[in-house]
Amino acid sequence: MGRVDFSDVKHETRAFAGVTVPVSVVPRFKRQTYPTRFLFSLKSLIDGMRLTFGYLVRPSKVVTRQYPENRATLKFPERYRASLKFKFDENGYQHCNGCGSCERACPNGSIILNTRKGEITGRNEIERYIWRMDSCVLCNACVEACAFGALEMSHEFENAVYDRRLLVYTLNRYAGPTANVLLKEENLEARAAMMTKLDTYGGPVPMNGHALPTVRALGSPRDEAKPDGKGAAS
Amino acid sequence: MTVRIRTLDELLTPPAAGSSELSTQEYFVNMGPQHPIAHGSLRLVIRLDGETVKEVIPVPGFVHRGIEKMCEKITPRQVIHLTDRLDYFSAIMNNWGVAKLVEKAAGIETNGRIETIRTIMAELQRIQSHMLWWGVLGMDLGAFTAFLYAFRDREIISELFEETIGARLTMNYVRPGGVMFDIFPDFPAKVRKLLGYLGPIMDEYDTLLSGNVILQERLRNIGVLDPKRAVALGCTGPVLRGSGVPMDLRKTAPYGRYGDVEFNVAIGTMGDCWDRYYVRMEEIRQSLRIIEQLVDGIPEGPVNVIKASARITIPEGTYYDQIETARGILGIMLVSDGKSPNPYRIHFRSPNFNNMWAVTAIAPGWRIADIISIQSSLDLVIPEIDR
Ligand code: SF4
Ligand code: SF4
Repeated sequence: MGRVDFSDVKHETRAFAGVTVPVSVVPRFKRQTYPTRFLFSLKSLIDGMRLTFGYLVRPSKVVTRQYPENRATLKFPERYRASLKFKFDENGYQHCNGCGSCERACPNGSIILNTRKGEITGRNEIERYIWRMDSCVLCNACVEACAFGALEMSHEFENAVYDRRLLVYTLNRYAGPTANVLLKEENLEARAAMMTKLDTYGGPVPMNGHALPTVRALGSPRDEAKPDGKGAAS
Repeated sequence: MTVRIRTLDELLTPPAAGSSELSTQEYFVNMGPQHPIAHGSLRLVIRLDGETVKEVIPVPGFVHRGIEKMCEKITPRQVIHLTDRLDYFSAIMNNWGVAKLVEKAAGIETNGRIETIRTIMAELQRIQSHMLWWGVLGMDLGAFTAFLYAFRDREIISELFEETIGARLTMNYVRPGGVMFDIFPDFPAKVRKLLGYLGPIMDEYDTLLSGNVILQERLRNIGVLDPKRAVALGCTGPVLRGSGVPMDLRKTAPYGRYGDVEFNVAIGTMGDCWDRYYVRMEEIRQSLRIIEQLVDGIPEGPVNVIKASARITIPEGTYYDQIETARGILGIMLVSDGKSPNPYRIHFRSPNFNNMWAVTAIAPGWRIADIISIQSSLDLVIPEIDR
């Protein structure tokens, strides 16, 4: 006990704004003579010191994590959001059919979707799925909006780079239909014909700032015409 | 407020003969924009006479990001992620504020499970926010240990958020018509464990900092804000309650599950820094009490009543709703034209903006070192002031 008795919280009721509000009035200082006050003040300092030194001699209470050293054992909760990626099934097929829900749900245009009409299937299918980590805020709205479970958040969090051009990703590995459509086709060769393997920058790797259809390289002039006339990512 | 700017000539003129006052020259000191007590970028221009503060002029605007303008281009569902970035220590309450407004405007009914989860999360966030404030107040006043202790315990709540929501700070969790993720089945057990831990920890905090004579002397009777002035300035939250006004939306206009639980509104008596300090400490205890009552028996049901990608059209009109965040009342005004899903205009009435002006009323007459205590006890989050 010191100058303030912390258990001395008064529980009262007050009428306010037409309702009776139960209140706790916080404790105040007691009137003390000088010698008592001096002794209590000294005691308060010693109490605080005892607490801190108590922790010093109880190493079991250490809570510091040695981050770069504990990389191997670092575990993240399942829902942890650190970067966006595509879900692929065991054959490496994707589930995205290019419906565009995620693009519409994204609050800041971090997703740019290129679709094509499949030559064999005749359906709308994904050609290139561009995700811009440099503007993404990891809000999870895209994952939430996708009705086909094509997207997920991954736990790769060490994404620091020296150039923001390295933060533009292509998420799909091939241009083509979804796993459902592909698995209906028994013939493996016919299946392969439906898919177009993407260039070197296809797949979940950064595009390294290269100009691609609908994405101009960073630093290149804004008015460079795009082949298909679609809006370019800047 | 008018700021009288005096010329150098005027300042250097000796006072008129017959004045018994000593002639001292007033001068200005800039505190901020980069100052440890600003907790962001806030510039305080302080007019001083010797060490005595004559006037404080806050100059906000260094973190202006145009959030209100950005909100006009996106749907209410997307507005939520921007409200995380207003007062990032009250992210869930801010999310909830927008969600509540949209639900009211579009006539969406939620269920007991959604409201319970929202209430528990909001209270956890309030505790987390007050803990951070407690640590930072200690650090501002020279007690660095408190900062580390606060972060140690805040981490447990952060981890709970990380596990349930997937993010620690900008969570984007509450959305119109529900919450983004359901809680895990072991969530209540974890929260109970947390409650068991935090109860005794509060006493430890009292020993470490509240009982410390140096802290007490730096807060006691410093920066008195009388209730009339606080109301006139539009202060809300612990700043207003510290002056003894039991204004708490959770009691006066209950939302969520606050109507069903018992808790007290912590108030102070005279409105000095100590009252504002201890009101927050008491609020942590009351929040623990609220969570304790809710965590057993979270009702069953879906956590979303509408689909995530559902298009919410708000009928034409102007809507207003408010919510009690960790720092006071966040009011949201939304104007909808009834045609586009995007709001025509959104305005946030941010608690920190009004609380910031309290410093102009409190500080004159105190010493320059007391500005630190006063600013810390106001608990400002600058990005919300500037938006
Ligand atoms: S996480 Fe949010 S910001 Fe990032 S791509 Fe998805 S919707 Fe856009
Ligand atoms: S990721 Fe999902 S929402 Fe986005 S285009 Fe593909 S299927 Fe549609």
